[in-house]
Amino acid sequence: MPEALIVDDSKVMREMEMACLRAIEGVVFTQAASGLEALERLSLKPFDFVVLDLNMPDISGYEVIEFIRGQDKLRALPILVVTTRGDEGSRARAMSAGATRFMTKPFSPESLLGEVRALTAARPGATP
Amino acid sequence: MSELHVLCKIADAEYVLPAADVLQMESFTGATKVPGADEQVAGLVQIRGRVVPVLDLRVVFGLPTISPTIDSRVVVMKRGDRTVGLLVDYAREVLKIPPADFQPPPAVVTQQTEGLVKAVVQAGNRLLMLIDFTKVIGEEREHAE
Amino acid sequence: MTSGQSGSQGGGFDSADFVAGFITEAEEHLALANANLLSVEDAAAKGQSTPRQVRELFRSLHTIKGLAAMVGVEPIVEVAHAMESVLREADASAGRLPVGAVELLLNGVRAIEHRVKALEKRQAVPAAPTKLIDALSTLRPSAPRDGAGDGEQTTLAPEIWSKLSGAERSQLVQGLSAGRRGLAFEFIPTPALAAAGLSITAVRERVAERAEIVKVVPRSLPTSERSPGGLAFVLVLLTDGADAALAEVTAATPDAFTPVTLVARHAPAAAPVVEGGAVEDELPEDALRHRGVVRVEITRLDEALERLSALVVTQFRLGRAVAAMRVAGGDVRALAPIVTENGRQLRDLRASIMRARMVSVSELLERIPLIVRGLGRSTGKVARLALETSRAELDKAVAERIFPALVHLVRNAVDHALEPPAERRAAGKPETGLLTISCRELSDSQLELTVSDDGAGVDAAAVARRAGAPIPTTDEALLELLTRPGLSTKEEVSTTSGRGVGMDVVKRIAVDELRGELTMRTKRGQGTTFSLRIPLSITIVDAFSFVCGDETFVVPVAMVEEIQEIDLGLTTRGPDRRRAPRPGGDRRRTARATEMIQRRGQAVPVLRLEEVLGLTSAAEDRSAVESGGGGSARRKAIVVRRHGEAFAFAVDRMLGQQEVVVRPLEDRLVRVHGISGTTDLGDGRPTLVLDLAALGGRLVRDSTGAPPP
Repeated sequence: MPEALIVDDSKVMREMEMACLRAIEGVVFTQAASGLEALERLSLKPFDFVVLDLNMPDISGYEVIEFIRGQDKLRALPILVVTTRGDEGSRARAMSAGATRFMTKPFSPESLLGEVRALTAARPGATP
Repeated sequence: MSELHVLCKIADAEYVLPAADVLQMESFTGATKVPGADEQVAGLVQIRGRVVPVLDLRVVFGLPTISPTIDSRVVVMKRGDRTVGLLVDYAREVLKIPPADFQPPPAVVTQQTEGLVKAVVQAGNRLLMLIDFTKVIGEEREHAE
Repeated sequence: MTSGQSGSQGGGFDSADFVAGFITEAEEHLALANANLLSVEDAAAKGQSTPRQVRELFRSLHTIKGLAAMVGVEPIVEVAHAMESVLREADASAGRLPVGAVELLLNGVRAIEHRVKALEKRQAVPAAPTKLIDALSTLRPSAPRDGAGDGEQTTLAPEIWSKLSGAERSQLVQGLSAGRRGLAFEFIPTPALAAAGLSITAVRERVAERAEIVKVVPRSLPTSERSPGGLAFVLVLLTDGADAALAEVTAATPDAFTPVTLVARHAPAAAPVVEGGAVEDELPEDALRHRGVVRVEITRLDEALERLSALVVTQFRLGRAVAAMRVAGGDVRALAPIVTENGRQLRDLRASIMRARMVSVSELLERIPLIVRGLGRSTGKVARLALETSRAELDKAVAERIFPALVHLVRNAVDHALEPPAERRAAGKPETGLLTISCRELSDSQLELTVSDDGAGVDAAAVARRAGAPIPTTDEALLELLTRPGLSTKEEVSTTSGRGVGMDVVKRIAVDELRGELTMRTKRGQGTTFSLRIPLSITIVDAFSFVCGDETFVVPVAMVEEIQEIDLGLTTRGPDRRRAPRPGGDRRRTARATEMIQRRGQAVPVLRLEEVLGLTSAAEDRSAVESGGGGSARRKAIVVRRHGEAFAFAVDRMLGQQEVVVRPLEDRLVRVHGISGTTDLGDGRPTLVLDLAALGGRLVRDSTGAPPP
């Protein structure tokens, strides 16, 4: 039962992402509306992967990634960064901060699903 | 525009209304009169929980009124944020009319109906008239900010 | 609008499903953007910078862009992108926008709003406004500024300080320099706290109500009993209040708070933007945002109300059936309390739904600053707006009706009342005119909105001239002239105020439609104040039902002074005033005779409702009966009062009293004076709700020969 953390401050965006990912068998979604909430959730329970928006209030997606990678138990957590196109340099910045994969909005359901499967396949023992 | 049109009859004439704007059609058994409203307002009816003003198209078209019959229908139309029912003598068929078949009415018809008839179309050996719903309900340009 | 692909692998994703959610979120961000832009403009005029607002603006537009891209509305994506680029640059330069940016950005917001509305109405979304986009693209960025970061130091721990952006450092330093207290508050999430509802989000909300949050910084901690998650959040705050209050709402211990102060080496001249040093206070919008507001589509609430209306009718029927059983000798002892309880629960349910329909006054007034700004620009007059709102809320139906009236008063004030700057200077007034809109709750069910200006006051002589009436001596009389239909001074037909709502309509909305009050105070050379008093909710009322002329009607109990039985054979009849029916068929004012009765020492006119309403065929029957001398001429009369005058409306018979859901009559075809709306008494047909007071009032006016509206 893959535990997914969906992080975006837009409720409708989260709903769209979850709709795309429902095809993953047995997936369980936890939502977070801010980077702070995401970190809080991550500190209290293990997750199999995170879908993370970069553009959020309070702390940016980059800071969230950096913080995650700074924690021992979260170092290997697969992170898929999703952000709006036109954010030049954000890909490089996200990847160097430690994101596992990166994609831009708008995306099709197939591509999001594909990215997440690729994300979780890389992990040994993962249930895609 | 969609091709489907509702065919209705008022006195001996046949008219059509775009089906896309029609919410529902109901039999007519009388309306709650609204004192002080225009004469063309037959009154208010309650249809599926919604209170709708009804215009008597006979009055709108300058014809004498009749008591409701078993064929009388209220055609509830919606355009924008206005929902208004039109009372006609008969409305049961839905026709498929390609938009290209509509012709502008003769100038004298436009004049005499004050634009209430928007177009005419030949269907078989009948001549049908397309009603301009917005004109009928008296839609003026909204003065918004 | 393109619909999304619904691939089989994608689990049936259709972007059309998400359009409603997109519209809701977009509208929220657009409202926030408007408020932020006005705040930025205001602050810039005072030489202050607004890094937080600029950051928020950037984020809002960036979000709109992403969502619009997902639901496939290209024109919005284009505008949002152009705006976002400008804002990103500004954000990188510590919150300074180039000259002329605010105006263009406001136009951008409007362009997006327009397209979102089109989407909502399922119309074609207009193409992107290329001229506006070009203008945005050619904005020159302002000269790069230093962040006021490294010149100043604070006692904030270095690893926290390093996480603050230039703008946030500025914000903290400016706040401290202005004398506010700095605090670093450490919050450690635990499963126990989360279970008790104290998540970081909740803590943040509560703290935001009492202090200004500069930043929330996550910190790693070694895993321990105290910090099972290995995580702490440090909230960097500026506050004027006591720590105790904060500690209370966050279940924190005193050691969680560490003061933060400046380690200033010299006066903050290194932050040249700030004069007088005040940092922008947290916008009230922020508090709203964190309040966990759920926006419900109003149509869903209307649906719920309709279902409730059906329940109310069923309850009524149930009550009558039980009563009938009792009368027939049945044993209803077990039933009766259940029915009563059911009624009670329905009332509670109704109250909950009505609460959900409430719109806060600040939401009602949200667009006014924008309107004032636009008016100022187009009339060349300079106007400043002071809004004094309260936490009051009103029913959405009331808010929607009062808004155009409010807008007209505002336009009137800027257009006519406020003098041009030169004239004001000559009169010794500040060049900038002041418009104040304030609101206060009068009682549980009334709200008072006042629109005040410090302009020239109303010229009674000019108004009297236009109306062809003697110069009024009191403000009430002047207001009466002003609200006469058809009265329009030459200036009123100017570009901004001319079409649409006039003062007569303002009065009609406030008084007739909403059953409120409109008053005015004015003083030549000093200014004018209009007061609108309106009930907060109009939808459910206690009403009497009665029959008149073979039709059933209801009248709100609150409007009725008394229900009397009168003997129509014993009324005092005055001279017969026959009036020909008006052309156009309005038969309502065909009065047959002036009848009066004595009531508590006063003469009260008796009006036969069937005549007032023009149900003449029944009226003819009745008077035939009466003149025939036979049969009872005793009828019930409903006594109402209007502006101190009593009227007795004779009806056929009273039916009963019940709570009814009143549905206002929306469509203009049936918006008629004297009819407040319709209700359903259980027979599935609309029953008219009469405003007898208004009908009485109208008759008085007509009898003085005033032209009909």
